[in-house]
Amino acid sequence: MQLKDKAKPAVRQIGTPLAAATCTLLGLGATGSVVAQELPPWDLDTSLLIYSESDGRVRDTSVTARARKEIREEKFLDLTLAIDSLTGASPSGAVPASTVQTFTSPSGNSQYTVGAGAQALDTSFLDTRTALGASWEMPIARLSLLSLGASLSDEYDYTHAGLNARFARDFNNRNTTLSFGLALANDTIDPVGGTPVPLTPMLGVGAGSNKRGGQSKDVTDFLLGVTQVLSRHTIVQLNYSLSQSDGYLSDPYKVLSVVDPVTGSPTAGPAGSGLYRYLFDSRPDAREKQSLYGLVKRDFNGDVLEASYRYMTDDWGVDSHTLELRYRWSFGERYLQPHVRFYQQTAADFYRTVLFDGTPLPVYATADHRLGEFDGLTIGLKYGQATARGGEWSARVEYYTQTGNPSPGAAVGALAGFDLYPDLNAVIAQFSYKFGRR
Amino acid sequence: MNASNLRRTVVAVGVALVVGGCAAVEPWDRDVLARPDMQIVSDPIEAATDEHIYFSKEASSGGQGFGGGGCGCN
Repeated sequence: MQLKDKAKPAVRQIGTPLAAATCTLLGLGATGSVVAQELPPWDLDTSLLIYSESDGRVRDTSVTARARKEIREEKFLDLTLAIDSLTGASPSGAVPASTVQTFTSPSGNSQYTVGAGAQALDTSFLDTRTALGASWEMPIARLSLLSLGASLSDEYDYTHAGLNARFARDFNNRNTTLSFGLALANDTIDPVGGTPVPLTPMLGVGAGSNKRGGQSKDVTDFLLGVTQVLSRHTIVQLNYSLSQSDGYLSDPYKVLSVVDPVTGSPTAGPAGSGLYRYLFDSRPDAREKQSLYGLVKRDFNGDVLEASYRYMTDDWGVDSHTLELRYRWSFGERYLQPHVRFYQQTAADFYRTVLFDGTPLPVYATADHRLGEFDGLTIGLKYGQATARGGEWSARVEYYTQTGNPSPGAAVGALAGFDLYPDLNAVIAQFSYKFGRR
Repeated sequence: MNASNLRRTVVAVGVALVVGGCAAVEPWDRDVLARPDMQIVSDPIEAATDEHIYFSKEASSGGQGFGGGGCGCN
């Protein structure tokens, strides 16, 4: 009996196989130890998301599954699969006009029209995205953790491949964790009909002289973080991240309207095309983003308050502030969690709602609202409940809105009568189910 | 705040936290912090979903982690 008791610490220290061998050498039955070390089965989380913008804009239905398992003692494999189905219409960047506007679709094979005074939405938007992720997490010595991962995603016109690594080490009796992360990605965009040369005009059907082949970009992300336990009830995190993108960073589907500087009316496009003049999006081929992120989580007798703030700045002139609050009210096996998120960003230096006829073209210009000045607000509520088998299901509904401003001086002539930065309103509905183990 | 100031602030706060050490919470007092709802990322799927939505609709990204797969989001 004495020998058996002594064998138990060895199991924890050097792992099952060696312990089993030791036990065998000592003439003890190893079976009991092996059973005690049996690793739990897969943890499986699933989710269905519907993201739907009003006015017939983008709608995304997404299914996600995440599986995690302790493959070896304290070594975890994590697999994720997400499939998105996107439909709807996306703003092209062109401004409304007092007349009907005709556009050539990005493929160059067809045309669509937008009514007088209406927002220019490209209705040919349809895509399916499949994303896969895998990561392997393992302890390094007693106080460190290394995780290595890969990500792949594929859309009709876009592919992404990435690798990432994260190293974390505990200090101060595990009250402090320092972590360092690195991610490398290569993304390729290959639109049907080619990638337009920046600032060249939209051409008529079948004309592709300003189109090139697929384009790519490389993205490198660094992350440096500190997580600190402040008390038995409070934990905080502070992260600094740096992201560097190089390559093709324009959006091949976005254009800018070239308007008369006095009347604000559209100007004539290429001869014989029957189109007004719309120039393709042009952005610098490098971008550096930096952000500082802080998170506080505090327990209040079983309830949890989570507050986070992020400041981001980039070398395109965008500065942003993001403040998020969540409060989880626990009622035994159930909880209710309100969520609010405030977001504010400044416009990129080269954001232009329109370009004016007769003035020299800038080198870079975009009318993509996402690079404009706007405020975002999200309000949501989540309900969750434990299942009898030790899992959990939850449902959340959130409302997201963006209210923005056109670039200064854009509302000339007839444009003063149009909404040059229409609000974006979207509903996010998500149902999640975490399978139990019992 | 410019880029170099930002870097200095991060390093300074990081060093202060590590050196200062704060009031240590002993392993046997970790019951609350060990709860799933007290983890830094308590719902990974929801976190990834939000990151993907806001990355697609805003000019910002980053903060807590890396995007798990780029997109040509319109």
